Amino acid sequence: MRELVAARRRRPLRRGRADNRVAELVQDLARGDKRAAAKLISLIEDDEPEAAEALERIHPRTGKAHIVGFTGPPGVGKSSLINRLVRAYRRRGKKVGVVAVDPTSPFTGGAVLGDRIRMAETGIDPGVFIRSMATRGHPGGLALATFDAVRVLDALGMDIVFVETVGAGQSEVEIAKRAHTTVVVEMPLSGDAVQVMKAGILEIGDVYVVNKVDLGDADGLVANLNQEIHPRNGWTSPIVRTSALEERGIPDLVLALERHRAHLESTGELREREAARARQEILDNLRRLVEERARRADRVRAEIDRLARDVVERRLDPHAAADALLLGMARRRRVPVPRRRGRAS
Amino acid sequence: MAKKIRVLIAKPGLDGHDRGAKVIARALRDAGMEVIYTGLRQTPEDIVEAAIQEDVDAIGLSCLSGAHMTLFPEVVRILRKRRAKDIVVAGGGIIPEEDVPKLRKAGVKAVFGPGTPLTEIVGFFKKAAKGA
Repeated sequence: MRELVAARRRRPLRRGRADNRVAELVQDLARGDKRAAAKLISLIEDDEPEAAEALERIHPRTGKAHIVGFTGPPGVGKSSLINRLVRAYRRRGKKVGVVAVDPTSPFTGGAVLGDRIRMAETGIDPGVFIRSMATRGHPGGLALATFDAVRVLDALGMDIVFVETVGAGQSEVEIAKRAHTTVVVEMPLSGDAVQVMKAGILEIGDVYVVNKVDLGDADGLVANLNQEIHPRNGWTSPIVRTSALEERGIPDLVLALERHRAHLESTGELREREAARARQEILDNLRRLVEERARRADRVRAEIDRLARDVVERRLDPHAAADALLLGMARRRRVPVPRRRGRAS
Repeated sequence: MAKKIRVLIAKPGLDGHDRGAKVIARALRDAGMEVIYTGLRQTPEDIVEAAIQEDVDAIGLSCLSGAHMTLFPEVVRILRKRRAKDIVVAGGGIIPEEDVPKLRKAGVKAVFGPGTPLTEIVGFFKKAAKGA
């Protein structure tokens, strides 16, 4: 592990004068330049060599934006709701960022990103920045770089950043570990009381929205949700009824978001959530670094091949193989063959 | 993560016919590109703003209303004004032969009429992204 950390340690950044492309981009970003923001997001998303430096320079400029995640089944109206919220926050003079995630094809690697269609009316408003992202194979309803893009928009000076996850099923709950406020969107006519009782996505909401109330029959869903919501750390998640289509309930939703933000600040939970997110991100990056190193080094790849043969021959189980590999990588020598252990994989 | 080709497909102006734009979006997706589709009735300003925020390599404009001689060059002009002329612009739709050289001269890199094989269009965007 020591070596891993050392590999990551870079020479300290020269502050002040912009002395390279990344530093220039970050300076432009701090001045509110949207093109710089867009370029920085791409650079990080494509994992270009300058990505690490970009993030290092951006990070100190973040921490002001309220990060609000939206999750819920496909077609429930997340994009349309965000579009309405963008207008509402703009009327209050707030600058708004949006990162909208859609799925990447597992077969071709391509994607059609269509969330912008519902947000078209924001047009050329200088106080709005919308970025579409493909998951690029990342599970959990988010892309790997989603929250790095959020960081860029935070540094761009956005007061609030909405993150729209892929239309999520029942277990895409990663957003709750990363956003300050998580909004779960549901709609009437989409299942019975038992659907609402299932664990997962319906547990993570700080705010619940029953959208498409124009369809009628919202009372049943609201009653079922009410059964499942219990106070947590002094906060009882409100249920807000909206119709993005008919622009109903939007002020109530804004109020619910503001109240949750105030609650996080007054109870100190904001700091706790930030710390939880930091822990998560450190672990994510550790995983990425270890994997990258394992894939890159010929020596390690050869060890993986050898261990894989042992696993196939039932001489070793996959857990023990991973243990052995990690130990070998940390010590930078030939991976020792561990003794067989009774651990099931 | 390898660099992905990102393309914005947009319909400028007052024209509700988006079948063609969707066929192109699907073809580019199947070729492994990330396609941002912005929907109907966009102004050239909207399109350029979206292209900049999405940091696309290229824009594909679809127009079947006959207003292409106004709308396509306007997108190119605004891109230049916004110092984003590295973003390649191509167009398609019902476009008379004699307009094609004029559009090319105005900075539209390629014009695809009805019946253009999808492979040709996919190939164009692949090459355009590499050149950028």
